[in-house]
Amino acid sequence: MRKVWAVIRREFVERVRTKWFWVSAILGPVLFAGIIVFQIVQSVGGAVRHIAVVDSTSTGFGERVAEALSAGRTFRATRVPAGPGVIDSLTRLVEAKQLDGFLIVTNELTETGKAEYRSSNISSLQAIEELQRGLGRLVVKVRLETKGVNPAVVDWAQIPIRLDTKKIARGRTTAESAGQSFIMAYIMAILLFMAILLYGVNVMSSVLEEKTTRIVEVLVSSLRPFQLMLGKVVGAGAVSFFQFLIWGVSARLLINLRGPIARMLGADPAAAQGLQLPHIPGATVAVFMAFFLGGFLLYSAMFAAVGAMSSNEQEARQAQQPVTYLLMISYFSIIGLTNDPSSTFSRTLSLVPFTSPIATPVRWTAGSMAMSELVASLAILAIAIVGVTWVAARIYRVGILMTGKRPSMKELVRWVRAA
Amino acid sequence: MPEPVVVVDKVTKRFAGHTAVDALSLSVSPGIIYGLLGPNGAGKTTTLRMIMDIYEPDAGTVRLFGTVGGGRTHSARIGYLPEERGLYPRMRVLDVLVFLAEAKGVSRRAARAKAVEWLDRLGLADWRLRKVSDLSKGMQQKVQFISTILHDPELVILDEPFSGLDPVNSQVLRDTVVDYRRRGKTVLFSTHIMEHAEKLCDRLCIIARGKKLVDGTLTEMKQAHGGRHVIIAFDGSQGGAAQIFSDRRLVARIQDFGQEAELELAPGADPQDILKALVNSGARLARFELASPSLHKIFVDLVGPEAATAAAVPVPAGASAGA
Repeated sequence: MRKVWAVIRREFVERVRTKWFWVSAILGPVLFAGIIVFQIVQSVGGAVRHIAVVDSTSTGFGERVAEALSAGRTFRATRVPAGPGVIDSLTRLVEAKQLDGFLIVTNELTETGKAEYRSSNISSLQAIEELQRGLGRLVVKVRLETKGVNPAVVDWAQIPIRLDTKKIARGRTTAESAGQSFIMAYIMAILLFMAILLYGVNVMSSVLEEKTTRIVEVLVSSLRPFQLMLGKVVGAGAVSFFQFLIWGVSARLLINLRGPIARMLGADPAAAQGLQLPHIPGATVAVFMAFFLGGFLLYSAMFAAVGAMSSNEQEARQAQQPVTYLLMISYFSIIGLTNDPSSTFSRTLSLVPFTSPIATPVRWTAGSMAMSELVASLAILAIAIVGVTWVAARIYRVGILMTGKRPSMKELVRWVRAA
Repeated sequence: MPEPVVVVDKVTKRFAGHTAVDALSLSVSPGIIYGLLGPNGAGKTTTLRMIMDIYEPDAGTVRLFGTVGGGRTHSARIGYLPEERGLYPRMRVLDVLVFLAEAKGVSRRAARAKAVEWLDRLGLADWRLRKVSDLSKGMQQKVQFISTILHDPELVILDEPFSGLDPVNSQVLRDTVVDYRRRGKTVLFSTHIMEHAEKLCDRLCIIARGKKLVDGTLTEMKQAHGGRHVIIAFDGSQGGAAQIFSDRRLVARIQDFGQEAELELAPGADPQDILKALVNSGARLARFELASPSLHKIFVDLVGPEAATAAAVPVPAGASAGA
């Protein structure tokens, strides 16, 4: 219908023209670029560390430590005999950034496993781990040697373990790691929550604007209130899809550009290739979109009713709280959902229409949802959308022409009942 | 007799606790200016909203252009300006006008051309790409007005159109309304300002407390609610006027505005006696006129002084026609 189309277009064009739309449209990619740059910088920072090994052992064990560490990729170690003032001068070198750090090795290392590492940067877990692992292997070898075990046997016995995690989802084994699907589900839930809340509130403030400026009376003399509400919800929804589109396309572009970005930052472009977006199956995208759409329709209808029953911003902020809390339930359940997606709690949340828009995509991504459950969840959501929209439209129809105090619960019921 | 453009048939609207409109009927013929007159709270806005389909009547029907159903079905043929009118403050002037026309079912292209034309005509050409909030209140009123008639409607419904208008816009509105009638279109407006009703309307309907008190042409009303009237204006000294006015053998009723007064003569009284008595008492007169009652007088008589005083504004008696 042409009239509804006019409302949709106005809603879309006016929103997209605002400063805030573009601020958040640009902020998304900037944040994403930041993550990529951070990862590249980290991989650069983790390249080669020059350290000294202060050897105060009686056996000259420090030399073997330096050799063993230099054999790895991260460290280039040099043995320094312990002596008066050595620690101080090394500390000065670290401060002058001529040395990344130094390791103090005493006889204690082979006896109790104790050593000390001093560095200007001890936050790189990867480096510390490699240091620990290197020392550990060496100490095991030396201790076995002292008991008469052949060093060649020790070398043969020590093999590094690489644990590959794979997910079993819907009868198929995928290469996706456990960590990846957890993070995916988490990011998805946050995105859904933010988008539904943000654009739902947009619908509310748009309704409120028409009410407070009193333009609404002219509008409802040409359009049915339901047409107006429908146009508003669809328009605001289109804006959020547009926003997602901008984010998605720019994320794709940035991923493709990560080689050049790495080169710009002076890092090995090959190192940046390791940054992969987890592969998102088409079905997951479809579920995400379907439940975003459903959740958005459900909540924006409620937000439209809230806007219609309030006469100013302050009242609206108060009246929206019950709706926001309803949405918050699923937000606060994200951790529980991702930790145990097949618990009774998670199952319940994915069936209740007010929580399913977030709970179901999370459970689906975590891979613990049967097709029948998904269908049931969608069906209940669809029925709820129809019911809630019907009630909201009635509140909306009466509310937009009301001024004065906020209606009581009793009055709201009368509005809904009114023919 | 051409078919009426608007027919309101025994329409009733109740809100929680009170009846806003009570079995009201009226009919507006094409090509006239029809005034809906009444004090505040009489049910004027509710009646217009029912005509516009914004409220559904609890009983009775509304027919527009000969078909059952209110304004929304015919939105492309009706221009409606509500009493509380607004615009989107953050939108551009031209965009608002185009959108409001589109909402009535006008095509985008046609709406655009018309909007530009009207903005030019009312001196707002340079403002079309500015935000509504940048406009002065008077300019915003013009934009609201343009939005009402942009699509060249056959019927224009205006709810208290003159309230809050500055004198210039008031004149623009009056000219447009008169021009509309000349082009054979119909105008229905509500007001509580007698002067506008008296000067503009071909037909009037006076309502109070949701009920119709009287309708007809101004002449019909004056005949029906006649009585012989004298309008007096003083020029300084009022002499013994107060005493003469309270003489029930001469004056049946009086509306005293201070420097002016409207008298209803007692049966059998001769206006010349009053004139003589006033001059003899030392009153200086600027005007002494035999007249039919002013609309204001009829209104107050019908509605009752309490209801009228809140709403009605005293009008100079010169607004009425000579005897």
